[in-house]
Amino acid sequence: MSDYEPKILGFLCNWCSYAGADLAGTSRIHYPPNIRIIRVPCSGRVDPLLVVKAFERGADGVLVSGCHPGDCHYVQGNYYARRRFAVLRDLLDFIGIEGDRLRLEWVSAAEGQRFAQIVSDFTKRLKELGPRG
Amino acid sequence: MIEEIRAKAADLLRSGKAKCFIGYERASDGLTARPLFAYSEDDVERLVFDKTCAHNLARYLPDMKGQRVGILVKPCDSRSINLLIQEGQVKREEVYIVGVVCEGIHRASWGRPSQELESRCKYCVRHVPVVYDHLVGQPPSSEPQPPASIPEVEDLEKRPAGERLEFWKGLFNRCIRCNACRQICPSCYCPQCFSDQLDPLWTGIRIGLPQNWVWNIGRALHLAGRCVDCEECQRACPMKIPLAILNRKLGQKVRGLFGFEAGLDPEIPIPFATFRKDEDLR
Repeated sequence: MSDYEPKILGFLCNWCSYAGADLAGTSRIHYPPNIRIIRVPCSGRVDPLLVVKAFERGADGVLVSGCHPGDCHYVQGNYYARRRFAVLRDLLDFIGIEGDRLRLEWVSAAEGQRFAQIVSDFTKRLKELGPRG
Repeated sequence: MIEEIRAKAADLLRSGKAKCFIGYERASDGLTARPLFAYSEDDVERLVFDKTCAHNLARYLPDMKGQRVGILVKPCDSRSINLLIQEGQVKREEVYIVGVVCEGIHRASWGRPSQELESRCKYCVRHVPVVYDHLVGQPPSSEPQPPASIPEVEDLEKRPAGERLEFWKGLFNRCIRCNACRQICPSCYCPQCFSDQLDPLWTGIRIGLPQNWVWNIGRALHLAGRCVDCEECQRACPMKIPLAILNRKLGQKVRGLFGFEAGLDPEIPIPFATFRKDEDLR
């Protein structure tokens, strides 16, 4: 399946990662168009069920991205997110959705390059994994 | 043993320390047990306790908020009370806990009690409740050792992801979404469950695989770090879906990551309600 293009759903926090993605765009950095972005107030806003729901609806991968630990606009949201997604990743893996299909990343508003890199790497990894069974 | 429980229950009701005593009585089939809510001393005579008493009676405590209640708990059920206290659903001073020393209960098959232990008892590590006001029975001299591994979980983990996916799809496909697992769960007390919400429509209305999949994963997720391993969900499931495997898997993960076990100490918040800044979870 060389022409397989994975669908990635991205939950980006408004304060850091969304601005980071914006910077990637305004800086004209190339990254794969596989990601569909949803802007959320904070990575702590992302209910693990939203991710489960995304997989149910056919997403091949889900990226949750927020401010670096210590930089959260709401002070502690990303710490909670970190705990939740560590457990969710393991559960998804256990029920047969490879843990690599869920990524939690920290991207600041200044890291456009890093955002592009993450999306490229993630897309590459999802192509290796192939379509979801 | 049962005389002591009855005497204690009668005493609680008489003295007004409890308005209601929750225990077990013989079910109408004459073989198994069912919950009994004793409001008067006459009801107390119906109390029983033996190896057929499977229910986790802590399930009823959140429904009786604001009342003084006496309750009979097995060691596994006692953890639920600690969890409910931690989560602010039960006030310690409103509950009088009669703990029983339990060395395992028997499985009922097609409504008939067998001589076989319930599967939850195979993983049991305590014969004495973690919290009680009055203890019935002699505590054993030593507690059982925790099992080194959980074979059901490990066998699955060894298989490739595709097989695991098919395994769970097959099981969730059986689900009829009767919600028995939720109704019987002592940790499921939300006034409105996410699966009952129509906006947002989390699970979907149809009884089909995708909807069942979301429901079962959502249920397991909401119990991560909160499940006390009473395995009532699995016992209640009419489609015999081994929900305890999922619960145990999550319990194991939470134990490994955060060193936390639900219901052992009412002072320690559940792992998802707290965090440590310096932890490395990736």
